[in-house]
Amino acid sequence: MTDQPIQNCGKCGLCLSVCPVYQVLKQEQASPRARLQLIKAFEKKDLSASPLLKDLVSQCLMCGACKVACPSGINHYAKFMEMRQKLAKSQPDPPAIRSLVYLLAKEYRLRMGAGLARIGRRLTPAALEKKYKIGTIPVSRFPALNRRPFRSTLPRVSPARGGPRGDSRSNLIGHPMGDPTGYSRDNPRGRVVYFTGCATNFLFADTGHATVNILTRLGYEVVIPPSQTCCGIPMMFHGARDQAVENMAVNLTAIQEAMRENSSDTTENAQDAAAENCDAMGKACDEAAKNCDAVIVDCTTCGAALKDEYPALMNTLDPGRHKALTQQIALAQKTTPDMPDTIAAKTRDILSFLHDHIDDLAAAMKPDTPKHKVIYHAPCHSKNSFNSLAKILDLIKALPCFDYIPVPDAAACCGGGGTFFYEYPDISQKMMAKKLISARAAGADFWLTDCPVCRINLHGSLSEKDNLTVVHPVTLISKGLGS
Amino acid sequence: MISPDLKKQFLAIVDPTRWLDKKEQLFCYAYDAFVEESMPDAVIFPETTDEVSQILALASAHKLPVTGRGAGTSVCGAPVPVHHGLVICFSKMDRIIEINTRDRYIIVEPGVVNADVQAALAPYGFFFPPDPGSMNSATIGGNIAQNAGGPRCLKYGVTMDYILSLEVVLASGKVITFGSKNIKDVTGYKLAALFCGSEGTLGLVTRAILKVVPLPETVKTIMATFKDLDDTAKAVTDIIGSGILPAAMELMDQLTLNAIEDKAGLGLDREAAGTLLIEVDGVAEACDKQIKQISEKLVANHAFNIQEAGSAEDRERLWTARRSAYGVFAKLAPDIISEDVTVPVSRVPEMVRRIIQITDKYKLRVGVLAHAGDGNMHPMIPADKSNAEEWSRVLAAFDEIFQAAADLDGTLSGEHGIGLAKSKHLPLVMNQDTIDFMKTIKQAVDPDGILNPGKFV
Repeated sequence: MTDQPIQNCGKCGLCLSVCPVYQVLKQEQASPRARLQLIKAFEKKDLSASPLLKDLVSQCLMCGACKVACPSGINHYAKFMEMRQKLAKSQPDPPAIRSLVYLLAKEYRLRMGAGLARIGRRLTPAALEKKYKIGTIPVSRFPALNRRPFRSTLPRVSPARGGPRGDSRSNLIGHPMGDPTGYSRDNPRGRVVYFTGCATNFLFADTGHATVNILTRLGYEVVIPPSQTCCGIPMMFHGARDQAVENMAVNLTAIQEAMRENSSDTTENAQDAAAENCDAMGKACDEAAKNCDAVIVDCTTCGAALKDEYPALMNTLDPGRHKALTQQIALAQKTTPDMPDTIAAKTRDILSFLHDHIDDLAAAMKPDTPKHKVIYHAPCHSKNSFNSLAKILDLIKALPCFDYIPVPDAAACCGGGGTFFYEYPDISQKMMAKKLISARAAGADFWLTDCPVCRINLHGSLSEKDNLTVVHPVTLISKGLGS
Repeated sequence: MISPDLKKQFLAIVDPTRWLDKKEQLFCYAYDAFVEESMPDAVIFPETTDEVSQILALASAHKLPVTGRGAGTSVCGAPVPVHHGLVICFSKMDRIIEINTRDRYIIVEPGVVNADVQAALAPYGFFFPPDPGSMNSATIGGNIAQNAGGPRCLKYGVTMDYILSLEVVLASGKVITFGSKNIKDVTGYKLAALFCGSEGTLGLVTRAILKVVPLPETVKTIMATFKDLDDTAKAVTDIIGSGILPAAMELMDQLTLNAIEDKAGLGLDREAAGTLLIEVDGVAEACDKQIKQISEKLVANHAFNIQEAGSAEDRERLWTARRSAYGVFAKLAPDIISEDVTVPVSRVPEMVRRIIQITDKYKLRVGVLAHAGDGNMHPMIPADKSNAEEWSRVLAAFDEIFQAAADLDGTLSGEHGIGLAKSKHLPLVMNQDTIDFMKTIKQAVDPDGILNPGKFV
């Protein structure tokens, strides 16, 4: 899609009807159309950088709904991101946001931070936890950190599985997942690279384990790139473009290595040897990249980074400024030509990937699979970047582990928006308030969502009295399959 | 400018969160969907009629210009505060007060969005017919101020035809109400007709009772394509002239169709020189009969392809695409002017020919889009306002288009209103005494001229 210059905004106002922030505030300055006008005024130097301008530009969830709805084809998302970068220098974010960006910029900082936070959490008296809020969410309702980072609990390669599953074998004869002649460790259906993101790694290991279980049970070999790090979207949102570029380089290299990994030899040495020999074996490596069926994300925001933001960032990379990175990426491109476009094209959100396998999944569920009453909340990037909403609902309706209860505002924003709930708690709370009413009325046991920030936000907004557990849909699908 | 003292008095009426006067904020109230912009000195968000009354009384006392605003989706510059002053934005007066389908009315505040009215009525099997292209964002207050129309107004009529009663705050701050909950009401002047379409120059509507009608049992949509635009226009005249009344009949030329197709990817025929999107509604048997009659007329006028929308989703997609026409045109150039001349339906073919002759003469691209069944033409010219030479050609072309419409017994605007866009063209369609009569009314109601100054009256 070609980006249109802002002058081409016809100011028709269609975006007002899809903007969650405008819908709450009902004031033009909180609309996508107004933000474009402000950016235009800033570019024409009719307006200069100011705290208020920064506030008006930041008072946005970066959900991308306006971009999807815009008849003029304006990429609001990219314009807003660019403007955030321009304002970052003269109008710095508050310290809490800057620390978050600092933490996410390097994997070791995150690991250390997570460790400290675990200790901190243990030392914090429960009474204080209840009393204090971060943004809209009481500290006691924040998720506990994983005991160990998820990625450190699994090998780099999880082999494909298959074969009979004991007692229910009779149901599965002739079916790939149960059929002894079907897929197995040595005869995988295919290979996927799993980009876990930070949330699964540090907060929601359940999502990670479920994802790997389902994929291997479907017959895929799952490669988890060990050196992956934060996708960089949080930095991009807060104007820290250079850090985002660094993370991009790390991730692209890590994913590219995983894509070409030789499945039959997964030891460290073999990896390194393969990497070194790759120039010589260029052709074989291309083949390996082709043999990677998908780069799977369980978080569509990370997915949007791989799919949309990395190719866009690459186009704006300044070799003078990012010398080392450019070299690093160029090296990786030798073995995977057209990177990051190859990676972008292979990036799939886990749920629409599973949608391709609905029949296999349904057939493989245990006959006595408990049906869980569920409602669904659609994250913005699943709707607007991956356009997956219809597929996700299809999947949930089709699988026997779910008893799907439709709620009218399943696709309405929860107000999480990365750090939005922290920066604009009042607006965020109003978005959530409406959702809570219909969610509570539905009488479900689980509130499914495929975004970790939505998950934190939904769980954080519920109280202990609500008998509603927020999980990623994969968790229940995985349970339905058995381990 | 608003003095600190005056500001203090306004802040005694509303809390500070409902008052904006910083430059960054004011930039966001300088525009609608029209090309001209002008910043207010402050924006205020009332929540009750009483607040509106106090605000206007105070503005009157200080002769402060006041311009009403809903969602700012007007395409003629009506809510653009050319004399600056205060913008009263009604977006927070957005309550639906009563739905009464037994007596067939709905009571709303002016900030309620048109689409929200439709959504609220749908469960009762009712709807509010005016459906402007901006209906998902546009407010009822704006619809009333502009006497908004839309595609299905061909059969159902425009906003004015659905107003039973209004509560209006006058420039003085006095609150008047007229009309009632009754469909039939000839008690005194039909004052709704005075305020509906007045573009905020006579008073500000704070509550409306609107007539609602049952949703039709069946809706059928067909799309016909032609190799010749003239044939397309003749088909329109032929169908309407023969006594068939579709709910909507939209004409699109090739440029428009392609712009829509680029955005929506509906599989429309890019080669077609003209396309008609026709909708009939009512009881199923009548719809079938009408579709048959219409199809015969289409074929007689050389339509080469006639297709019926298969599902409700297909239909919705077609209409969503049609509603986005204004926006998709914005892709073609930095600026766009969409006009609204209207002619008697028998003159539609001639008007289409003249629009094309005129734009050819001035070497401009034009998209011809029309609610053709009621002669409401929307020629859209994409251009670059910063290119003075090109822009002068655009303005000259529109002057001639207005003249052509007047020559064909047409009028300046079918549904967009006059606003900033064409007040100077009023003499083409009304004599000086008529213009003076409007001024007399304005003078009587708003002696200091504080309400939306700089517009058509």
